[in-house]
Amino acid sequence: MTRAIPEELKANFQLLVGALHARVQSVMGCVISTVDGRLVSSVVDNEADPHRLSAMAGSMVALGETIGREVKIGRSQSVVVSALNGLLLLQRVPSKRDLLVIGTLARTNANLGIILYETRNTATAVAAVLDEWLDKFTTAT
Amino acid sequence: MNSALKLVFAGSMGAGKTTAIRAISEIEPISTEVGNSDRSEFDKDETTVAMDYGELTLPSGEKLGLYGTPGQLRFDFMWQIVATGALGIVVLIDNSRPDPLADLVRYLSVFQSHAQSGAVVVAIGRMDTHPTPNFLDYSQRLEELQLIIPIMPADVRSRADVIEVLEVLFHQIEATDHQGPDSDDWTSFIHTLSRQQ
Repeated sequence: MTRAIPEELKANFQLLVGALHARVQSVMGCVISTVDGRLVSSVVDNEADPHRLSAMAGSMVALGETIGREVKIGRSQSVVVSALNGLLLLQRVPSKRDLLVIGTLARTNANLGIILYETRNTATAVAAVLDEWLDKFTTAT
Repeated sequence: MNSALKLVFAGSMGAGKTTAIRAISEIEPISTEVGNSDRSEFDKDETTVAMDYGELTLPSGEKLGLYGTPGQLRFDFMWQIVATGALGIVVLIDNSRPDPLADLVRYLSVFQSHAQSGAVVVAIGRMDTHPTPNFLDYSQRLEELQLIIPIMPADVRSRADVIEVLEVLFHQIEATDHQGPDSDDWTSFIHTLSRQQ
């Protein structure tokens, strides 16, 4: 993976993240980061620092997958932090190459099922954009 | 049985925390390595993002949990989480980094309470290829910080080196009167490990 993610790609991710935020009223924010925790795109309403959130997203997704393996319950699909004043759902972006994770921050009144559904849809859309770009990139080089 | 014997390996990305745990763990270590997207910080394929975990059994049957932290500064939230309740901390410094002395200061300030109570040892890697800063530079920096902490060179790929670092750490912990394994226990443990090499 190149060191800097192309701006064009980031802009497309930003649109998807923004769309999720606009579409689902209970969503306070959404962040896309690299699997090793670097911020790629984000929209966050509350005071959470997107850079910190990105690093934590990388850690939590990896830890969730390690735990799934270790306790023999198979591959982790998502990790949920259910807190007093909101919830955070984290999962991998299902692209051909494991490069990104996504995290959705939602208010307490959020329905977990809807957050799961919407996050998964956004993750799939992000994966499609990334795969298309990677295909072009590999053909070009 | 006290299951709270926890040792932590901390230090910058690429200093060898995962490698050190692999070198001495008697179980297949649990790791959280993912693809590294930041080759400018360190050119390697994978990097730890949450933690590593390995185990060693002391002759008394007590288990020593070996924990590794993620290196990059953005994961500093994990450092404290992993270090909570640790008996001792090994700070791995990579002498090939741009400013290893600044790395030292950063990690010692994060693990301040352990450093002040003498539960820290500093192991410096890649000193053969990168001789500066030297030991004098490190001791001067520690003196400025008013800390008395052992500093030693180590190649963490070598099991013998990692064990030596732990030996120094345990002697240091004992000397400062912590609740560590008692000295006979530890000495025989070191002997057992040395024989296995």
